[in-house]
Amino acid sequence: MTDLLQQLVNGLTLGSLYALIAVGYTVVYGIVQLINFAHGEVFMIGAFGALATWTLLFQGTTALWVLPIMILGAVVASVTVAVVMERIAYRPLRGAPRLAPLITAIGISVALQEAVRLFYPGAKSKIPFPQIDVVTGPALSFAGVTVQRAAVFTVGALLMSAALLWWFVNHTRTGHGMQAVSEDKDTARLMGVNVDRIIVIAFALGAFLAAIAGVAQGLLNANVDFRMGFLAGLKAFTAAVLGGIGNIQGAVVGGLVLGVAEALAVGFIPGQFGGSAWKDVWAFALLIIVLVFRPQGILGARVVDRA
Amino acid sequence: MTAVDETIRTDRPDDGPVLEATGVTMRFGGLTAVNNVGMTVRPGEILGLIGPNGAGKTTFFNCLTGMYKPTEGRVRLLGNDLPPKPRAVVMAGMARTFQNIRLFGNMTALENVMVGRYCRTSSMALTSILRGPKFRREERETRARAQELLEFVGLGKSSEHLARNMPYGDQRRLEIARALATEPKLLLLDEPTAGMNPRETQQASDLIFRIRDSGLAVVVIEHDMRFIFNLCDRVLCLVNGQVLVEGTPGEVQSDPRVIEAYIGGAADDEEGDA
Amino acid sequence: MSTSTDIETTYADDAEKVSLWDRIGRPVAPFAWPMVLAGAVILAAGCFLSWSYTDEVLGDLSIDFYPGAVQNLMIIAAVLAVIFALMYRGPFSRLGEWLASATALRVLGLGTTVFMALVIALIGVQAGGLVNVMPGAWISFVGAVLILLGAAGLTPRASKDPLHAHLPSWLEILTIVALLAIVLFGAAYVLDIEDGTVFSLVVLFTGLVAFTLTRAGFFTWVGIIAQTHRRVLMLGAVAVAFLFPFTQDGSDANMSIATQVLIFASTALGLNIVVGLAGLLDLGYIAFLGAGAYVGAMFSHSAFATIGWKPNFLLVVIFGALVSATLGLIIGSPTLRVSGDYLAIVTLAFGEIFRLAMGNLDGQDGPRLTNGPNGIPAIPDLEIGSFNFGETHEVFGITLGRFANYYFLLLVVAAIIITVFTRLNNSRIGRGWIAIREDEKAAEAMGVNTFGLKLFAFAGGAFLAGMAGTIKAHHDVSVTPDQYIFLESAFLLAAVVLGGMGTVAGVLIGATILKLMPEKLRFVADYRLLIFGLLLVLMMRFRPEGLVASKRRQLEFHEEDEELADRVEEVHLVEEQEAKA
Repeated sequence: MTDLLQQLVNGLTLGSLYALIAVGYTVVYGIVQLINFAHGEVFMIGAFGALATWTLLFQGTTALWVLPIMILGAVVASVTVAVVMERIAYRPLRGAPRLAPLITAIGISVALQEAVRLFYPGAKSKIPFPQIDVVTGPALSFAGVTVQRAAVFTVGALLMSAALLWWFVNHTRTGHGMQAVSEDKDTARLMGVNVDRIIVIAFALGAFLAAIAGVAQGLLNANVDFRMGFLAGLKAFTAAVLGGIGNIQGAVVGGLVLGVAEALAVGFIPGQFGGSAWKDVWAFALLIIVLVFRPQGILGARVVDRA
Repeated sequence: MTAVDETIRTDRPDDGPVLEATGVTMRFGGLTAVNNVGMTVRPGEILGLIGPNGAGKTTFFNCLTGMYKPTEGRVRLLGNDLPPKPRAVVMAGMARTFQNIRLFGNMTALENVMVGRYCRTSSMALTSILRGPKFRREERETRARAQELLEFVGLGKSSEHLARNMPYGDQRRLEIARALATEPKLLLLDEPTAGMNPRETQQASDLIFRIRDSGLAVVVIEHDMRFIFNLCDRVLCLVNGQVLVEGTPGEVQSDPRVIEAYIGGAADDEEGDA
Repeated sequence: MSTSTDIETTYADDAEKVSLWDRIGRPVAPFAWPMVLAGAVILAAGCFLSWSYTDEVLGDLSIDFYPGAVQNLMIIAAVLAVIFALMYRGPFSRLGEWLASATALRVLGLGTTVFMALVIALIGVQAGGLVNVMPGAWISFVGAVLILLGAAGLTPRASKDPLHAHLPSWLEILTIVALLAIVLFGAAYVLDIEDGTVFSLVVLFTGLVAFTLTRAGFFTWVGIIAQTHRRVLMLGAVAVAFLFPFTQDGSDANMSIATQVLIFASTALGLNIVVGLAGLLDLGYIAFLGAGAYVGAMFSHSAFATIGWKPNFLLVVIFGALVSATLGLIIGSPTLRVSGDYLAIVTLAFGEIFRLAMGNLDGQDGPRLTNGPNGIPAIPDLEIGSFNFGETHEVFGITLGRFANYYFLLLVVAAIIITVFTRLNNSRIGRGWIAIREDEKAAEAMGVNTFGLKLFAFAGGAFLAGMAGTIKAHHDVSVTPDQYIFLESAFLLAAVVLGGMGTVAGVLIGATILKLMPEKLRFVADYRLLIFGLLLVLMMRFRPEGLVASKRRQLEFHEEDEELADRVEEVHLVEEQEAKA
């Protein structure tokens, strides 16, 4: 029983991380029907942004008050990258065959990884991520279940971000504009919505959450790596599809479901094909099964012709 | 002008219907787009399908051709049940054109028609790679037949033109040639004269007569009443997804319900296409 | 969408460009032509003088009347400039009706000026100060600037469509042969350059010449005659490829690069069937090469091979190809239900699963098949009959080393793949693929077996890659999972995209560029992935159809381009006439 609870906790932590990133895929897809394959890299840039902020300003400090500023640094880095990427790479391709933006995304993804590897000092191998008071440190224990402090931070970050996002989409003018654009771009344009601006905001919003995820990942693993975006991005994409792509609540649910499923697979698939060696394989298998058999996800998405 | 001759001989000897659709119903969620429609097409006849916008004509077409799987009902071609798969329907001998032309724009006219021959030829990978005599013969025949069909519809000189560059009327005729290339027994034309001028409409009508004369049965969806009443042997009027009237052009033309449907409460939504 | 604004901006750009050239050119217009000629002569003259004080920069450019490699390039540029000038006015003016000489001269002038400036800067930097730049370089620089200014003063004229140029057949064939010879000796020459900087200058210059000739319309004509004399071109290309090892005089260094290029190109051609012909994106394609390689390794005589049975290599090749094709069928099966982006992600996931599985099957996390991350090392060289691929052989007094042996074998594989590719493309199946690319639903409604054809593209492409993989195992000596990461799939895709989807020549060029550059340019080796990532983005933005464009693909990427459509149609019409004649 403790085992199961422990795996659930692990799964929810991982799932929160996936959910934070998955929102970025879903928001952008909902608005422009584009899979921003480079979104995993935006997450990675966020982690490095936080690290750079700390190294430049607070080297040696572990006080909690630096965390918000680190998050700010992460958000600035991620959002800048995402917005620039939209403006110079994706926007000119609107209306091009679907192959074009996908290949572009792969290019951006590789270029961003390499840019970090080559130009961030020391990034050719893993870099330790600063440990911050309160959110890292000795693990908490509840009835035999260990909970990392960073895990509490991650889940908390997801809850807050989700609440904020919900408020933003439903209670602001821009949020309403986003809903309008995702319903029907042309009509929204006729109604005076600045579609280009909405698209940029969608990218920025996704980047914002990805940046928070980046910080969370740094705290959880105590290190960052220029490759961390690839796998996380793919898993988050799986989560987004699982929840129904284009559906924001779906992304959160999908992320949590995927995280828990992965943790349970590690813990409970017996024999040679169990354990952490195969966990990514199971995650990918799940991705394939979902894409093939339930592309509309658990909660469902508006069916768009993806041909 | 003998392009379609050989299909006559493959007709069934007895004079049973070419197509027999009974009780075809198509529901999308709560909406019933086609409700219990029956239609029989006899060999060598031209049947018109009319109805106001949103009456379910194209949806019905899509049910016949396997683009949609009808919720209820049965479609029989030459006495055999048709599986709801577009490819199987073509193989069984029913071909169609599209309301909004769906040619392969970046292929030439000839290539478009050659694609229509796909299901009647059989060269597979190994033959294509080794280029044996069978491949050469089949390729030659496909090309010749496609050219013949282009000439039949009056596009013999345009075979090397890209489909996307062709004038609108030619594109409609090319679509017909492509459909004929699949050797159908029954040809379904979805608004073949939409957007045409009177002269082109006249040519289209001549072409449809020639197709009928070569032994095919033809079903035509059309808005242009004059065109339909001149062309068809029988007319079926669909309103709100149901058959309102069926009969000779004269009967349908003078039926007050038809006039009412067209002038009165006709749905104004544009009909969804394939 | 933003298309309309895009069009406006491009028009604005064009207008600006034209006016800039004209603004520079107007004052010199009366004596523009002599200026170009004089510039060319001065440029060439400078090349015969010393460019650099020390002999250690850019090869050796310090000796008067003994031009070094870089100087030779500028002499070639000068000759080209003279030829184009004489086309514009003078004895070659009949040729000038067909080629856009003024435009070509503008490109050439700008290119040589930039080139010379670059060379002077390099001498300055590498030799420690501009004092080391000798007068010869400055003279050549002035010559280049004169060509540039003079060319600006020439008026570009509309040239005739090379489609209607009817030269005697022998002349066309001669051109093809000459071009192939240039390729052969050019390749041998380029590969022999040790100095990375000189190598990049040569590549840069080759690019400049190619671009000049493209703008002149020369390659349009070459494309047309290549189409007419397809057989000659094929035979010639085979001959060139076959002769290449004999230019290497037993050196294995370049042959090792050449074999890598061949393996890469063969795999990319297989991928091009899936991407270029059937129009499906496969982001896990490297797994097929991997499957072949693992089969090759497991059945090899390596002491670490996990399977005891050692069949004949021919059998292994077929077996590897079949295993790979089976994987292709599995990976292709989702095409029944998914397409587009989702299909791409599914293939990516399959590719990752392959790599992870190969890394896991080590006896601990699954049956022992692949030795996990350590892979299967020490795979011995191939031995077909009594011919051992590890040994050197003497042919016509020229030594052919280990890599040359593999090169010839791989050449056969590449030839098979190219044959399969072109013949499939040009058949009933190829037409079906185009129809699927154009409008899948319409294709289905016309009786095209869309699912079967898509599946076949996957299985066929995988079969060919698996074949190449079995040879790769022996060529590489070891097989490990980290050779088959996602990046390699992306790299293959880049070769296809860069070269041109749906074309053979394009993919060969793309593969060569992507494999050769990092090998030769050690100083960019570390940046190669960054460059390649940016390259993908830039290609999609500015030339999505690739360097060598398949006309149809070009149309697909530029749906609104009516001019292009008319042009393609004209080519069809002329080809048809010629076929009838």
